[in-house]
Amino acid sequence: MGSAVGENVSRIDGADKVTGRGVYASDVKLAGMLHARILRSPVAHARVRRIDAARAAALPGVAAVLTKDNLRVAAPHYGAYIKDQPIVALEKVRYVGDIVAAVAATDEKIAEKALREIDVEYEELPALFEVDEALAAAAPVIHDENPARKDPKYGYGASLTRHDGTNIFYHFHYERGDVEHGFREADRVFEETYYLAGAQHYPMESHACVADFQGDQITVWSGTQTPFPLRQEIARMFGLPFSRVRVIVPYVGGGYGAKSGVKYEALAVTLSQLAKRPVRVNLSAEETFKTLCDPSARVTIKTGVKNDGTFVARRCEVYFNGGAYANSGPTVTERAGYRAHGPYKIPHVKTDAYCVYTNTVPGGAFRGFGGPQVSFAYESQLDTIAHGLEIDPVDLRLKNLLGKGELYTAGNIPIDCDLKSELKQVARAIGWGEKSAASEKPGVKRGKGIACAVKDGGGVNKEANALVQILMDGSAMLFTGSVEIGQGVRTALMQIAAEELALAPERIQVAPLDSHTTPFDRGTHASSAITVMGQAVQAAARDARAQLLAAAASVLGVPAASLKLHDGQITAGENRAAIAEVMRRHFGDLEGEITGRGRFKVERRDDAPLGYPATFWENGLAAAEVEVDEKTGAITIVNYVSMTDAGKMINPLHCRGQEEGSVMFGLGHALYEELAYRDGQLANSNLMDYRLPRFRDLPRSSHSIILEEAGGSGPFRAKGIGEGGTLAAAAALCNAVYDATGVRIYRVPLTGQTVWTACAEKPAPQKKGA
Amino acid sequence: APWRSSARTIGAMAEAWIPLKFRLNGQERSAEVAPSDLLIDFLRDRLNLTGTKRSCDIEICGACTVLLDGKAVSSCSVFAFEIDGKNVLTIEGLAGADGLHPLQRAFIECGGFQCGFCTPGMIMLAKSLLDENPDPGVDEIKDYMDANICRCTGYQMIVESIQRAGSILRAEKK
Repeated sequence: MGSAVGENVSRIDGADKVTGRGVYASDVKLAGMLHARILRSPVAHARVRRIDAARAAALPGVAAVLTKDNLRVAAPHYGAYIKDQPIVALEKVRYVGDIVAAVAATDEKIAEKALREIDVEYEELPALFEVDEALAAAAPVIHDENPARKDPKYGYGASLTRHDGTNIFYHFHYERGDVEHGFREADRVFEETYYLAGAQHYPMESHACVADFQGDQITVWSGTQTPFPLRQEIARMFGLPFSRVRVIVPYVGGGYGAKSGVKYEALAVTLSQLAKRPVRVNLSAEETFKTLCDPSARVTIKTGVKNDGTFVARRCEVYFNGGAYANSGPTVTERAGYRAHGPYKIPHVKTDAYCVYTNTVPGGAFRGFGGPQVSFAYESQLDTIAHGLEIDPVDLRLKNLLGKGELYTAGNIPIDCDLKSELKQVARAIGWGEKSAASEKPGVKRGKGIACAVKDGGGVNKEANALVQILMDGSAMLFTGSVEIGQGVRTALMQIAAEELALAPERIQVAPLDSHTTPFDRGTHASSAITVMGQAVQAAARDARAQLLAAAASVLGVPAASLKLHDGQITAGENRAAIAEVMRRHFGDLEGEITGRGRFKVERRDDAPLGYPATFWENGLAAAEVEVDEKTGAITIVNYVSMTDAGKMINPLHCRGQEEGSVMFGLGHALYEELAYRDGQLANSNLMDYRLPRFRDLPRSSHSIILEEAGGSGPFRAKGIGEGGTLAAAAALCNAVYDATGVRIYRVPLTGQTVWTACAEKPAPQKKGA
Repeated sequence: APWRSSARTIGAMAEAWIPLKFRLNGQERSAEVAPSDLLIDFLRDRLNLTGTKRSCDIEICGACTVLLDGKAVSSCSVFAFEIDGKNVLTIEGLAGADGLHPLQRAFIECGGFQCGFCTPGMIMLAKSLLDENPDPGVDEIKDYMDANICRCTGYQMIVESIQRAGSILRAEKK
């Protein structure tokens, strides 16, 4: 024993998931459970004049119809940062798909039929779909009700500007040095604007939850990534103590950011309150498309450099189309702003990042969290600068990259991996510097591209708690609030506990996630679980171990320091006793158990721009070789190498899965995925029209390299992974397209049309810096 | 008008129940279904076989794949009455009395899933592939499996899971 960490220990959810036995929120069935369907707005922006739901309510089998007219809760609005989203539309609807009413009935067909019996009278308002329309001076204000908000307290260099009475709902600013002075010092200045389409997470399981409101007790089963913030928000909305709200998390069929915060839980609770029966909400795929998206973005980046390639100054402006409700848009904006200047030594930086309300699907958390948008811009522009200065792009990166131990900004932890050596490795893996072999196909050109990006990992102001119990027979229980959304976290956390207790992993059981028994955690996102919850679990296991050894010392009459714990045995020199024997004697021949407690909290630092340091630096590097058919715009990936640093792999097989999955997410966004609007209607809200990556899209050759540089703050020097692959993909591909064709692409996804158009508009001679 | 009478006919049909006899996961079963009942709802809601997962609803993602007389079909796009007289295999019927099917073992050992929501459909499609072709090459696996979508793994480890299962099955046959 003592070697659970670093092994491919079998997933604890494995048998459940390969046999179909595992229960997801969409599989939960309760006695008397009703099924809900939702009436959604067909118009993008309108005042709701009148709703007549009498015919719907009278239909046999219909138990409750919820509209603004019978919504009676303590606080009808929710939102992670800005409380701007009501359970059902109150005065206005703000996008096509906004919730107008909901029906709970004995089956979904009856509920669906009832929706058609609800009459709604709308008074249409001018609608805004694009950021520039929403920014126009004369634009109507989408949220004129002045929603309550909770703004963060930033530290050194960062600030928040309120733009009340406009459609800008978040504006993050970061500044260091004097950027204008920097541009004057520069020999050359490059300025470009990059665009990224909105995308859909498409978790395979659509949003699903079941709520049961009985007496003054609410129970919610939800496939949520944030069970405790969800509990708090439900308690606030329904005016109950936290202790009266119970959130149970079954298996979750994918999240990628989509299932953070309140989604449909409050609606289900309200219907259950009206119907006095449990109610299930299980969306269709089309409705999931209309719930939350990765917001489309425009990133303008201006960089001043010396003739030898030294970076002097960078100005970034980021605009997100935040959609109709703020959701987690404020934090995505903040993080995009913080990440916008990239992992480079730049003395003078100034960044403004904005999130803007429009009458489209709300935007928010999405794997990479603002990182993919800005890294696409800064890593593409790095190549433009390199070509402008006639410096090899890898050399230009090596000249400016932050070294291990250097600071990204004041107040944060230093860079915890060797980006320069990583870049050299990934360049070698793609054969950088060797000319691409000519394509076998006539008219098809080949080229190579590279990108290197980081994001501050582990979230901001995180807190996690865990319990480890040693039971009478020497087996153990782990209680943790980290959600198993597929990443294998509950297996990895069990491995950490097993390692600390020197116990075989199969002797540890991970308790189901239930807010009534599991200690508090802030949520499963930002690749945080291994560094944040990992440290709480490690501390809990160490606490339990110390209590066990103290008990053994007293039982065996030897000093605790002389005791060793191994494979369920406690040894002191020649003497040994099984844990079970020690426990029995410790509890005086009666039952008992030892409970170890662990807590991890990131402490505030006022010199940190975001107010708190990260727990690690997540990195994503990619090198791609592509073929471009200029006649069709088709791109084929010939070879793709991705790299990330895990610090230490707790479970190597799962680490590889996380890295490869995030690469495919990045490639999907870079090559295919795009939410298309027509007259304010999301025109491709289904898998027929929205193109997800499939088996045939696997690059002809690809591999992932996961390093263990042992610089992480997590247990055993581990870091988080699982988002790195999304950071570098778009820029690596666009840089490869440039290498192949000499055409710079400023917009992803790289659809055939985008590439063909860019190639057809023959490249202007290389832009010289001003 | 003719369309009216046909609409009435369909309305009348909706009231009628269709009796079915079929074999499900090795057992003879009978049931009555409405003409508009989909196979996925029949399995999940009537028979409580929730291993078959619902996702796209339009035969694109394959999460609801089951085998009908050995052939992979999307149960979201098959009527329940279509299984009459047929042999239905769902994920719940795959493991034998002696434990997990080689595909199930291989998916665990090779990291062929993460969230697990596409997994029952993925494994059923892979079974259909290995039944047709016990020793598929990587390109054959990619072509065949292209009918199903996974959002977590990036696919490579599913390809490896199927290769591993194929070699276990071939070794067992020898």
